[in-house]
Amino acid sequence: MITLYDYELSGNCYKLRLLMSILGIEYKTAPVDFYPGREHKSEWFLKLNPLGQIPVIDDDGLVLRDAQAILIYLAAKYDPSGTWYPRGNPALLGKISQWLSFADGITATASAARLHDGLFYALDIDAARAGAHRLFRILDEHLWFGEREDRDWICSAPSPTIADIACFPYVMLSEEGGIPRQDYPAIRRWCDRVKRIKGFTVMSGVFPAGPA
Amino acid sequence: MQQERTRTRWHPIAASHDLPPRHVFHAQLWGREFAVWRADDGYVNVWENRCLHRGVRLSIGINDGRELKCQYHGWRYANRTAGCTYIPAHPADAPARTITNRTYPAVERYGLVWSCEQPEGEVPGVPGLEREAPLALRGIPVNAPAALVVTALRAHRFQPNGRIDGSDAEMVVKAADDFSVALSARADGAATLAIFFVQPVDSGRSVIRGVLDRDPGAEARNAVLRHHNAGLSVLRDNVERQAAARPAPAPIEPVYERVPAALAELPEPSAHGRKAALRVTVARKWEAADGIAGFELRPLKGLLPTFQPGAHIDVHLPNGAIRQYSIVNGPGESDRYVIGVKREADSKGGSLCLHETVREGDVLAISEPRNNFPLRRDAVKTLLVAGGIGATPLIAMAQALHHQRLVHSFHYFAQNEAQLAFGDRLDGLKDTLVPHLGLTPQETGGRLRDILSGYAEGMHVYLCGPGPMLEAARAIAGECGWPDEAVHFEYFKNTRAIDDSSAFEIALARSCLTLKVPAGRSILEVMREAGVDMPSSCEQGACGTCMATVIEGEPDHQDVYLNDAEKRAGTKIMTCVSRAKSARLVLDV
Repeated sequence: MITLYDYELSGNCYKLRLLMSILGIEYKTAPVDFYPGREHKSEWFLKLNPLGQIPVIDDDGLVLRDAQAILIYLAAKYDPSGTWYPRGNPALLGKISQWLSFADGITATASAARLHDGLFYALDIDAARAGAHRLFRILDEHLWFGEREDRDWICSAPSPTIADIACFPYVMLSEEGGIPRQDYPAIRRWCDRVKRIKGFTVMSGVFPAGPA
Repeated sequence: MQQERTRTRWHPIAASHDLPPRHVFHAQLWGREFAVWRADDGYVNVWENRCLHRGVRLSIGINDGRELKCQYHGWRYANRTAGCTYIPAHPADAPARTITNRTYPAVERYGLVWSCEQPEGEVPGVPGLEREAPLALRGIPVNAPAALVVTALRAHRFQPNGRIDGSDAEMVVKAADDFSVALSARADGAATLAIFFVQPVDSGRSVIRGVLDRDPGAEARNAVLRHHNAGLSVLRDNVERQAAARPAPAPIEPVYERVPAALAELPEPSAHGRKAALRVTVARKWEAADGIAGFELRPLKGLLPTFQPGAHIDVHLPNGAIRQYSIVNGPGESDRYVIGVKREADSKGGSLCLHETVREGDVLAISEPRNNFPLRRDAVKTLLVAGGIGATPLIAMAQALHHQRLVHSFHYFAQNEAQLAFGDRLDGLKDTLVPHLGLTPQETGGRLRDILSGYAEGMHVYLCGPGPMLEAARAIAGECGWPDEAVHFEYFKNTRAIDDSSAFEIALARSCLTLKVPAGRSILEVMREAGVDMPSSCEQGACGTCMATVIEGEPDHQDVYLNDAEKRAGTKIMTCVSRAKSARLVLDV
């Protein structure tokens, strides 16, 4: 049984809950009081992850940190269809990794802005927002041309990959950091598509889509 | 000056490709935000981007293809009218007509969606785009005022279709004004005209919406789109650098109307109360079933008012008769009203006139829809039980429940299959439709007992059909443990003989009037004579329109609208037929 060291309002933890919900993986959560308790910097947690970051999973003794790394592990191990992380397709794996790094960029900007606005982190909010807008412009353009090339998802595959799951949460939560998505209509349509994936689940601040 | 311009000039606010099915686009023009959505029937809705309840943006709402549902408390608004059709916190009530969101015009042209706050005339034609299928480019949002963007666009360069690899096109500014620039590019005998419309989003934000005069075809299209996207992105970066060097203009504060004036006004009082405010054309008349004529009524101009399942209209017939018919429409089917009329053997002129005299193309006067038979959406399971032509309101309900994927079953009693009305609509309801054909009254009773057994808390049943069937169904429901408040019914007519021999006094508490109701006159008639306006519809105690609240006194109920518990409570009265057992009634009128 997988244990997810989880904080309900974390988009990076939500990525894992989302993929596990879609793949139908059973797991239990161990809540980490990220705010205001700063439990992710506590002695017991630093033994699990010396970086002091959530999420962490423990899958029968295998302890993994880093949301993107865990997405790779979960999809590689638990997705019988092999479509979320197609191990036999090097070109696609390269693209997926490229967008997983892009997702880290979204965390560093859009998520940081949300930590500033919501949890009072001291950081350069203007730089965080400007950085998020720069990434969103790139993603919107990529998705807009995707719609013209019959590509519904971030990577050129007929079904979604973990790249979509990695990018989705902090895009969807961006308004909590003062980053509107009004200027990114293709991102907004892609968000609808992600929400219609079978097994999709929500978190606080992420609303469901209606039936397609 | 700017105010005038903001209100009367048409601007593109989206591209047609921004409105795929079941999506809500977030648009903005001169600071005013819009929720823009395409219904399944193709209609493009441009609405004020705020729920009338708590002001939450409707652009994060759910487009279910027929209605837009607010994410916050689930208020539902109808396609076209933006009238509220359902409020989950008030599941038993039909929303007031004043709960209608503000709408703006929408015109699709050149692959763009155009709107305007107060349009003067039509969307202007654009020379050069009328010939063949134009191609809309990717919209480019720019953090700069429209004027700066227009200035930059006058010097913009691109390559004509078929020559996008070059860089030496000859550019000519064909036309330009404050919000658009038409540029032609020529190279090696190829020419492309591009019109760049600049949508003023806010004082310091714009969107460049470019349209090429000609779609280069599937093979070359994406390369052309990328060519323009790259060029406009460079232009955007330059303009944004210029804009950032200047002081940012203050954002525009849009003015929000509270309620449209037409809705906020009280209707004019009148002596008769049965008003026919709407004129409709009979767009289609057909045989909806054996002995049942279907009528599709379309507005002569404008939009028809919002309806909900269970609503009915009064139809004012050429022969002077006024009859009530339920609206058969499903949710969001807001461009027409569909009604079904059974030819009654003992017709007093209503059904006969509609069957024999009224034809396609005729104009009829109808009332606004009223809903005295509203459908709850919070039942754990809903049963719909129809007899004969009583199916009409229940077909509307079944379509709404089906569309919202709510648990229900639809029992439809008829003499034979040919008498099942609106087969095209029933086809869509196959999963839950159970026809019961050719049963005797005894067999019907047995079947009703089967249907109504197994009541569980949270279930609701809606009954409509001939009087004897309703009496039987209500009695059986009572025996099966259904509480009165879970049994909803609508009679076609009140067949009870009305005893109007009593004489009594009514005190109208709000109007400060005391009136005498003599034998032979109804409360409704006496009130109207005294100038007190009261809506009414069937005027025989069946529809519930003329209901008043009783503050004091004992009513003598003679209607078939109230259920037994409501009659015992004595707090409501149908003023068209019911009277007083006490010498005096105090009414909240």
